[in-house]
Amino acid sequence: MTKQSKMSPEEQRLEKLQEQSEQKRRRRDKDRNVLQELNRALDAATRTLTKGLIRGFGNERWQSLTIPLLAIALSLVAISILVLMLGSNPLNVFTGILAGAGWIPKPSYGGGQSQLTDLISLSISLTPLLFGALGFVVAMRAGLFNIGIAGQMVVAGFAATVLVGYSDLPALIARPLVLVVGAIAGALAGALIGFLKHRFNIHEVVSSIMLNNIFIHVASYLIKANHLNHASRNMNAASAEARLLTEPVQFGEVAARLPVGFLVAIAMSFILWLFLTKTKQGFEMSAVGKSPKAAQYAGIKIGPTIVFAMALSGAMGGLAGVTHYLANVPAMTPDVLPALGFDSIAVAFLGVVHPLGAILAATLIATLSSGAVYMGSVAGVRHEVASVITGLILLFTACGGFLRAWLDNKKRSFADDENLKGGDAS
Amino acid sequence: MNFAAINYSAIIVDGLSFALPLLIIAIGGIYSERSGIVNLALEGLLGFGAFTGALFVASTVSLFAVTSDVPMYLSFVLAALGGAIFAMLHAALCIKFMANQVISGVVINILSVALTGFLTSTINANIFGQASERFMLQTSPRWDIPYLMEIPILGAAFTRVYPFIFIILIVAAFAWYLLYKTRFGLHVRAAGDNPQALDAAGINVARVRFTAVAISGALAGIGGMSFAYSISTNFSPAIYMGFGFLAIAALIFGNWRIVPTFAACLIFGLTRSAAFQLLPVFDAGAAVIDLAMTAPFVVTLLLLAIFGKKNKMPRALGEIYDKSKR
Amino acid sequence: MSHNEQHKEILLELRNVTKHFPGITACDAISLEIEQGEIYAILGENGAGKSTLASMIFGLYQPDEGQIFMRGKKVHIDSPNKAVALDIGMVHQHFKLISNYTVAQNIILGDEPKKRALGVFPYVDIKSAEDRIEQLSKDYGLEVDPRATISKIGVSTQQRVEILKMLYRDAELLIFDEPTAMLTPQEIESLLTVIDNLRSQGKTVIFITHKLDEVMQVCDRCAILAGGKLVDVSHIKDTSPAKMAAKMVGRDIEFSAKRPSKQIEETVLSVQNLRVEDSTGFPRVDDVSFEVRAGEIFAVAGVSGSGQVELADTIAGLVRPKRGKVMLKEQDLAKLNVRKHTESGIAYIPEDRQSVGLILDFALDQNLALRSYYQTPYCKTSLLNQKAFSDHADKLIADFDIRCARGAKTPVRGMSGGNQQKAIVGREIEQDADLLIFVQPTRGLDIGAIMSIRKRILDERDKGKAILLISLELDEVMDLADTIGVMYAGKMLEVAPATDLSMTKVGEYMMGVTAND
Repeated sequence: MTKQSKMSPEEQRLEKLQEQSEQKRRRRDKDRNVLQELNRALDAATRTLTKGLIRGFGNERWQSLTIPLLAIALSLVAISILVLMLGSNPLNVFTGILAGAGWIPKPSYGGGQSQLTDLISLSISLTPLLFGALGFVVAMRAGLFNIGIAGQMVVAGFAATVLVGYSDLPALIARPLVLVVGAIAGALAGALIGFLKHRFNIHEVVSSIMLNNIFIHVASYLIKANHLNHASRNMNAASAEARLLTEPVQFGEVAARLPVGFLVAIAMSFILWLFLTKTKQGFEMSAVGKSPKAAQYAGIKIGPTIVFAMALSGAMGGLAGVTHYLANVPAMTPDVLPALGFDSIAVAFLGVVHPLGAILAATLIATLSSGAVYMGSVAGVRHEVASVITGLILLFTACGGFLRAWLDNKKRSFADDENLKGGDAS
Repeated sequence: MNFAAINYSAIIVDGLSFALPLLIIAIGGIYSERSGIVNLALEGLLGFGAFTGALFVASTVSLFAVTSDVPMYLSFVLAALGGAIFAMLHAALCIKFMANQVISGVVINILSVALTGFLTSTINANIFGQASERFMLQTSPRWDIPYLMEIPILGAAFTRVYPFIFIILIVAAFAWYLLYKTRFGLHVRAAGDNPQALDAAGINVARVRFTAVAISGALAGIGGMSFAYSISTNFSPAIYMGFGFLAIAALIFGNWRIVPTFAACLIFGLTRSAAFQLLPVFDAGAAVIDLAMTAPFVVTLLLLAIFGKKNKMPRALGEIYDKSKR
Repeated sequence: MSHNEQHKEILLELRNVTKHFPGITACDAISLEIEQGEIYAILGENGAGKSTLASMIFGLYQPDEGQIFMRGKKVHIDSPNKAVALDIGMVHQHFKLISNYTVAQNIILGDEPKKRALGVFPYVDIKSAEDRIEQLSKDYGLEVDPRATISKIGVSTQQRVEILKMLYRDAELLIFDEPTAMLTPQEIESLLTVIDNLRSQGKTVIFITHKLDEVMQVCDRCAILAGGKLVDVSHIKDTSPAKMAAKMVGRDIEFSAKRPSKQIEETVLSVQNLRVEDSTGFPRVDDVSFEVRAGEIFAVAGVSGSGQVELADTIAGLVRPKRGKVMLKEQDLAKLNVRKHTESGIAYIPEDRQSVGLILDFALDQNLALRSYYQTPYCKTSLLNQKAFSDHADKLIADFDIRCARGAKTPVRGMSGGNQQKAIVGREIEQDADLLIFVQPTRGLDIGAIMSIRKRILDERDKGKAILLISLELDEVMDLADTIGVMYAGKMLEVAPATDLSMTKVGEYMMGVTAND
């Protein structure tokens, strides 16, 4: 104050001007503060959301479960939007699929059908999918991409149909024999891929693609030359005794054929899980898969391990083949590689490449395909939408690694922030 | 045996009609893989491209004169566009979302079959008011090239030629020039060998790879559209016959280089058409064609087994490039 | 190499530059001024923050705090592109080269000269690029053929390509990140000449290294970093190596851990006329013979790629020799598999600890039993005993002071390099083998871990083990060896007691210079 009185008028005017601009600046600052507040609020909101996501999906222990669930949820949202755009009710689509697959009752059933028969059909289509997925999982453990499941299915389906399906063996011998022949044929087809990799250093993805096409064309040639059913344009069907469906079993009003392979597939999931985690061979396969050089250093024989892993994987592919061609469909169609062979690869990934995860994933995907036709008849949407749902689930699952990395990153940056804050306070 | 009955001209014409679509798809694969992105999605991409092109024809056919070829030419543009857009999904998965490239390819194929199947029947039902799983195309015109067609034997290559042959030849030549002569091509091939180095040179690796994969889809789309015209004159899910995988065989056979891949495609195409033409001559059953179809795959596999060591896969193929981990 | 006393223009200035990474402050409020035309060394141990600092100058990282000024103007270097635009260039520790491209293609990558064919089609004008590169290589004395393919030229030529890359982009400030790590003494000499040359042409150089002698030789000034902090900046002529070293590690260190062998006894390993070929039939190890005795450290010196690693891999059984014998005591191991080698009494600490010595995705306990998982108590009739794994791991963790967050179940990937190496060394020493092979046992470790591992090597020797040590660090060889063998191009050029060989002499052998030349 005293200073001011000593100032010349000019200085005072300057002072005033300065004060005015000061006020202006303060006002502007206030505005800016409001904006900053808003920004901060937005920030806080996104932070809470991210934190929520981290809490829900960030726990590494549970991520193998939560990430696929997130993928499924995302694809259901996407499909709902699509269905709404087509003018139908997405809920009808989902309930239609569940009812069609037998998980919930339909309003009415045709003659000889019930919720139980629907569930049994589901288990029939689930079985090859699960075997195929197991095949992929086993190979993946040893670091190998078995893209050749489809080819192994063809080899096994063809061999079992010709060797057992056309014989007059009684069911009690024929059915187990079909499984054995299928597994062996598939194992040989798989081992060939392993051998080509070990001996000639041909990448398994490349050799699988080549062999898939070689197998289907050779099988088609043999079918057309010797085993063609001219009415259906399919391969001659295997005898009922050799097909992997039991004689009709009576359940109250309805009768149904039960799939022989279903329980085998479930049991196989558990056996493989134990095999991969608890045995020396499982340890060796994982070691080769994670680091071939370290495995060699550990004294593990790489070549035989690769061939063995591919044989085991191929055996599963073979079982997928026989449970597909001798149960799921009437007979093999020439010139067509089974799409199921590729679907099962995606199923394996949806099941986080774990033998038990494969059960859940195969159930989900089989539900979608099994319930599609019924859904199409009740929901007013083409039945193909079910395969689009499958595709989207797989698409989002493929991004699982990204989601995981993103959550990890966020979690770490949050943790850092907390640390820094802690540092400031002390 | 009656060798006079062999239709040599058909062998050449059909062979080229098959080899060139295959070539353009394989070049698509080369673009993607030379940039470092494994592309097992070619099958799905060619299907989606053909779907887009056929959808365009089906929805605009009433706007043109019946005899007009314009829808056909435009359908190739649309097929390229559709393939490119769908390929961007593969690119996004592999580059942005760091998905495993093999798995992404498998998923894209599954999604392509599902989506095109669903959309074809839904659009047919809801818009064109018919229950059908296919879009019909017009029959493609076939050209006789004056003078050239009169050359003995080789002249066959210039009779009853599909116009798409020329479209593909022009696009393929441009693709060759782009990959080997321009800055962009230099960057694509660098991205597949050492992305870190490309990044250090100030080039955005993700953008180069993204573009390369989109080009891959566009080329596959053109190939798919050609197959739709030459094989079935319609689009239906039957387009997914494994030609995408055959193209992969061809590009591996060609060592990820365009000119040798061209040779591979010619061999594959001519073997196939020769088998078709020679069947009646040798009195063989129609089934033998299936054995002939294994030839490209068997030969590629043998080639890999014998010359495997000389095979030069792009060094960084399949490697997820994470900028933060440089 | 005189330092100009006149006040010069400041080219680059850092003010309080700070960079945090999760859990660590890599650079802590660092302020530097670099003058036009000087060679400025940034010296520090591994992990001192040198590379992070350089990365921020080159735009690979952005500082969390602080400012960077270039020619007095505040700049925000958010990408390498920006750095290049500001005339900053960098030679990375790992070269960034496209292996199947030519030298010229590599140099122009990202900044290609363009021409148009037929006035329409743009194409890369490689011809004019090659001419310009030839001119540049003449001007700066960097001998290189612009048409040669990268995969066919040697490491030091590749480095020249990296330098030419910077010059091609008219860089004024050239950053060299540990440029001598991969070079022989003679190649280092010629690189230092090139750097000196750059200074005389008016360029400014930042020289990042942890080697004191190189700093003394060419640099004008030197900044010393330790633990992310700038501890000192001094003119080279005003300081001494001992002073710098003390500041670098924050304490006085003994330069040598040398302890001569007490007693050398019977021959444990005898290698006779060994020949190892690569897949093309090219000899990697060519007619090599030597012996390692109990209580002796036999160190093999040589430049990278002289066949030392193949030699070690062969003795350990990972590679089959073409000819010759590997005798461990009385037994010839040459035809046996890896496991037989291990069981006969060879412990092996491989060069690449992350992809050979360990399985990073496995837990620590599995890694610690990597060489014996198939034996009791870990495995009975094919079934694994988890408890045996973790008990064994707990013991080694305590004995070898392996720091790990979650004990036996820690995934090895998350452990530090030093602790990973301790795990390998612990596992191998525990085998109680007669022969221990160490390849590059201290590469990339911090000084504490280096000392601890060198001490372990000496302890094992004193227990009467035979030690085969292979190292690219000549210091390490000179420090530890009782006997030195020098390899060059697959041949063992010289074997002599360590006391009979000087560092210069070994350096000459490493370059293939023999007494006859």
